[in-house]
Amino acid sequence: MSRRRPVRRWRVLAGAAMALAALAAIIALAETLRHPLPSGGPVVAERPEDPAADPRTEVVCPEPAPREDAGRDGPALTAEPEPVTVTSTELYDCPASWDGRLIAYEGEAIGGVLTRGDGAWVQVNDDVYAEAAGPLPAHRDYRGGNSGIGVFVPPTLAEEIDAVGGPQQRGDRIAVEGRFHRVDSTSGEVAIIRAERGAVVAGGEPFVDERLPDRERVAALLAALALGLVAAERWQAWRRRRLR
Amino acid sequence: MLFRPDADDFRLIGLYTGTVLYGVGVAMLVPLVVALALGERNEALAFVIGASLTVSVGALARMTLRTRATLTGAQGLATVALIWTVVPVFAAVPLLLSGHYLHYLDAYFEGMSGFATIGLTLANDLDHMARSVNVWRHLLHVLGGQGIVVVVLTIFSSAGGAIGTLYTGEGEKDRILPNVVSSAAFIMRVLAAYAAIGLPLLWLATIRAGLDPAPALFHAFTLFVTAFDTAGFAPMSASAGFYRSALVEGVLILVMVAGAFSFAIHYQLWQGRHRELTRSLETRTFAISLLAIMTLMSVGLVRAGTFGDGGDLFRHGFFQALSAHTTTGLSTVPGALFVTDWGVLAPAMIATAMALGGMAGSTAGGIKAIRVGLLVRGILADIRRALSPEHAVLVDTYHAGGRQILRQGQVKAAMTIFILFLVLYLGGGVLGLFYGYDLRLALFESTAAAATGGLSVGIVRPDLEWPLKAFYILQMLIGRLEFIAVFALAGYVVATLRGRV
Repeated sequence: MSRRRPVRRWRVLAGAAMALAALAAIIALAETLRHPLPSGGPVVAERPEDPAADPRTEVVCPEPAPREDAGRDGPALTAEPEPVTVTSTELYDCPASWDGRLIAYEGEAIGGVLTRGDGAWVQVNDDVYAEAAGPLPAHRDYRGGNSGIGVFVPPTLAEEIDAVGGPQQRGDRIAVEGRFHRVDSTSGEVAIIRAERGAVVAGGEPFVDERLPDRERVAALLAALALGLVAAERWQAWRRRRLR
Repeated sequence: MLFRPDADDFRLIGLYTGTVLYGVGVAMLVPLVVALALGERNEALAFVIGASLTVSVGALARMTLRTRATLTGAQGLATVALIWTVVPVFAAVPLLLSGHYLHYLDAYFEGMSGFATIGLTLANDLDHMARSVNVWRHLLHVLGGQGIVVVVLTIFSSAGGAIGTLYTGEGEKDRILPNVVSSAAFIMRVLAAYAAIGLPLLWLATIRAGLDPAPALFHAFTLFVTAFDTAGFAPMSASAGFYRSALVEGVLILVMVAGAFSFAIHYQLWQGRHRELTRSLETRTFAISLLAIMTLMSVGLVRAGTFGDGGDLFRHGFFQALSAHTTTGLSTVPGALFVTDWGVLAPAMIATAMALGGMAGSTAGGIKAIRVGLLVRGILADIRRALSPEHAVLVDTYHAGGRQILRQGQVKAAMTIFILFLVLYLGGGVLGLFYGYDLRLALFESTAAAATGGLSVGIVRPDLEWPLKAFYILQMLIGRLEFIAVFALAGYVVATLRGRV
């Protein structure tokens, strides 16, 4: 049976303190080098301020859409009103109320134009990143995840869309008018807009990838350190094997 | 009586943790190559920094903590818990440098969610995230899912016998083959085999959905990884709903099912024993609970009037039910609709499916089908015993790779884990209530974190209160490692502070 060698408590505490110091150093380094550097880029808001994104916010839904069978559940069918401008959050908050209604919606085309039959599916985001502030990481206006909705656009609009938002570019901004469907009877898709008309209102553009000299210097320094340590470790392991 | 840990305890735990970090640092070279290939210069630098830090710490540990001692069971468990705590510290560095996370805590949350194959995300503006960063998020699923501990130590270490203690600590309960290294090799063979089928299928399906071949390849890779590792990250914020394609969903269903099967069952299938699929207690329990959940969910959706068409109800209902039950977390429906358009019963069934989870010895989380099956068998056995003559000797059996005798100890162990999971789910729910969230939402999100389910109704978002973020991180860790490893690590901390010499 091998002899136990309990470690003195102060040595453990010193080790824990060193580990915490290393963790703090890693966090500090990463925070300092994050893109963009703290001094660069417009700081619009440190914290998200969109109350609609908070699930604790009470939502008051509008009246349900007029129904053909008026007098039973919904209000009487009236003349088709002008399309109501909505956001994706409003649609998701009250899908039954907006079901079948004529709406107007605007946002950034994202990810791809998925051509299908007599039109195309486009994910259209109407979050803060699709608006003035623009996509991350070009600024520090952190406003949470994306919000958007799937839109089935007519072929003319699908052809018009030139740039879709993604890792290297901001997508075209499109405006559509059409009907929101809680469940689309044609495709079976959930919570989508079937656009009747629409247009590209602003063109997309590629991101400007700024050089970050501080990051370059730190990366070179740390890479050299890592290579040195790996070489030393491999050499030590080789020596140990030889001695055996 | 508690004894203060030995010097070798610290050396071994540090050495093995450092060795795994070494491997994680090497893994960061994959997104680095992607970043270089796609011209994502700043992200490439972020991965150089992340990889250098990780490899440096790993190399230092390997140089300074060498020992001839071998791992004991308790040390192995504590090492695994420490590895799962420390790897996200380094994984978070390139994530934070990507500029998509508000604070380091958010990046750490993302790292833990990726490594523990949860799928909850705190990323801001995911839809504009660099491809290389997205590849790293998904690679974390592979590292955590396919058992980085075993694989890295197999490659870097000569301590073949000692690895077994890490392997069991990681939640991979079944040693598929007598040798752990062979088991690890088999797991990688299974991954390769399914990738050889699943990746091309998903690539073709996403092309057919309308994507160009090059981006479709990226989407196919990320979707395959997330489905096979029953993880949950997605390349787009709309998750699987982005593709608007029943074909893509169909392929994902197949891959998710394959991912939720235990590697022991994969081994049986590999050996040509196909009857194991229908005879195993685990697969039977999983199939029955999926059917029950799907039935109740359908009732709930019909009552809520969400779908007018049975086909649409089945398509979306089944995908969500399976995604939750396999603890994957992909979704064809925006999470907000679970609250505003799916009534009460259907979301409750999704949460129940996540809570029950997939199969033991797979990448799925939750309570696990085998435990549920053993508990039900135990209850039935008790009822039979109560109805039998007093001196009758009853032997209950079940099928798991062969005929097994049902022992009270197994049922008791299953009940213990069952209760611990319930307490864990409730803990997050209570904290959510404290911060003013609705009970249904708080329980749903807490279960998603603890059961590695990953579906969200919107509580997990970047401006979530930091104590909740921290608690969800803890839930992810405990739920992934199924308690014992975390208890062992906590035991070492207590023994260090209060143990006797």
